[in-house]
Amino acid sequence: MIIEHIDAQLPGTITDRHDFRGDQTVVITRENLLAVVDLLHREGFQFLVDITAVDWPEREQRFDVVYHWLNLASQERLRVKVPVADGESVASLAGLFKTANWFEREVFDLFGIRFEGHPDLRRLLTWGDFQGHALRKDFPLDGGDVFCMEGCTAPYNNGERS
Amino acid sequence: MAHPASPFLPVLILLLVAAVTAAAILVLSGWVLPLLKPNNPQEAKLRVYECGVPPLQTGARHKYSVKFYLTAMLFILFDVEAAFLLPWAVNFKTALWTFGAMLSFMATLLVGFVYAWGKGAFEWER
Amino acid sequence: MAELDINDAVLTTRLDAVVNWGRKNSLWPMPFGVACCAIEFMSMMSSKYDLSRFGAEAMRFSPRQSDMMLILGTITNKMAPVLRTIYAQMAEPKWVISVGVCASSGGMYRTYATLQGVDRIIPVDVYVPGCPPRPESIIYGVMKLQEQIEKESLSMRKDHIARFYESLERQDALQAAKGLTSQQTIREMLMDAGERGVGTIF
Repeated sequence: MIIEHIDAQLPGTITDRHDFRGDQTVVITRENLLAVVDLLHREGFQFLVDITAVDWPEREQRFDVVYHWLNLASQERLRVKVPVADGESVASLAGLFKTANWFEREVFDLFGIRFEGHPDLRRLLTWGDFQGHALRKDFPLDGGDVFCMEGCTAPYNNGERS
Repeated sequence: MAHPASPFLPVLILLLVAAVTAAAILVLSGWVLPLLKPNNPQEAKLRVYECGVPPLQTGARHKYSVKFYLTAMLFILFDVEAAFLLPWAVNFKTALWTFGAMLSFMATLLVGFVYAWGKGAFEWER
Repeated sequence: MAELDINDAVLTTRLDAVVNWGRKNSLWPMPFGVACCAIEFMSMMSSKYDLSRFGAEAMRFSPRQSDMMLILGTITNKMAPVLRTIYAQMAEPKWVISVGVCASSGGMYRTYATLQGVDRIIPVDVYVPGCPPRPESIIYGVMKLQEQIEKESLSMRKDHIARFYESLERQDALQAAKGLTSQQTIREMLMDAGERGVGTIF
């Protein structure tokens, strides 16, 4: 229903859509984000549930910024995906939604996607001068930690190499 | 004839027990404890405790003037003097000796008063 | 990692026995409770499993008022300097029990965010494995610590604590020199140590 609304009022913004077991998802371009958010807000989707991102390294537009909305009146949920390339930035919703502030900081911390217009875009979960962006697929899981059991002295070995 | 036990004997015993306890505590904590305790003075142990993070500079640490402390201290001193003066004044029977005693008490405090005045303790703006 | 080896022929005298008896039966825990193991700690302290029968009822959340730190839960790299500071502020004699696998070795979290074992930054006396360990296991860990304390001696020098304070000074110097956050300083010290093949930074 809401998707038809978007189609009607902002034709051409939806580049893709899919539905999985009742989960409605639309894919839009980053230039149209604010317009679509505006429309959604007017249509009653006023609860921003989550902002997150996914890294598809083999794609040219490697990141998908994913927004989840809930319409409290009609209990409808909508997922909005915005493909973004590395280095591109997305409009920030922090002025419109208070929760977007920390969600966008989290996405910036873990993926490196910048949000234009964010009042205080800095790392949230990792510490201030953490190197790299942790949830990118090319970031090593252990963070480059050289510690491994083999060949290292360990406290429980009394200084002997294992 | 055996002497009857003085009614003040318990007081003497109490005095001895108190003296022995105080002495024991002093000896134990002054001479015995330093032998038993681990001695590792470190600067890090003396740092301000703020749940492991460096102390925030914002907080409630506002410097306030020492004038308030000075005023409060002077007030206490002369207020206590007045408190001693009042019951004396109520019970005063005309006699030179009692009058002289109170005068000497006030003279002692007067010396302190003059000193504080001279040092500028009563000046608010300083 | 106590430098305490029974083969070092540490002679415990009668005085040591008395002092150690006093210390081991009045261990005041400081629970550094950050995750699920803290829940097991809570149930250990309450009446069913009851640590207070070992003299450890007075749980104090201040390092200044306790002598045994129980590290209960996953320590992330972001929390590492906080843990070091709190350990540094404890007065001696002090002991550390690392409860659960996350504190002992990073547990199931072999990631960029989790400190792979708290003994990389702090000297640990007893490790209690488990995810989470049952309250009886944690009590067993405390009992093991008590056994360790029995074997201590007043004349024994606690090397690992001295090395810890040296490493704290090095950390402060490095942080001041490079202008990094404390977390990044510890990471760099760990990487340096790892390249030398040493598991700890103290």
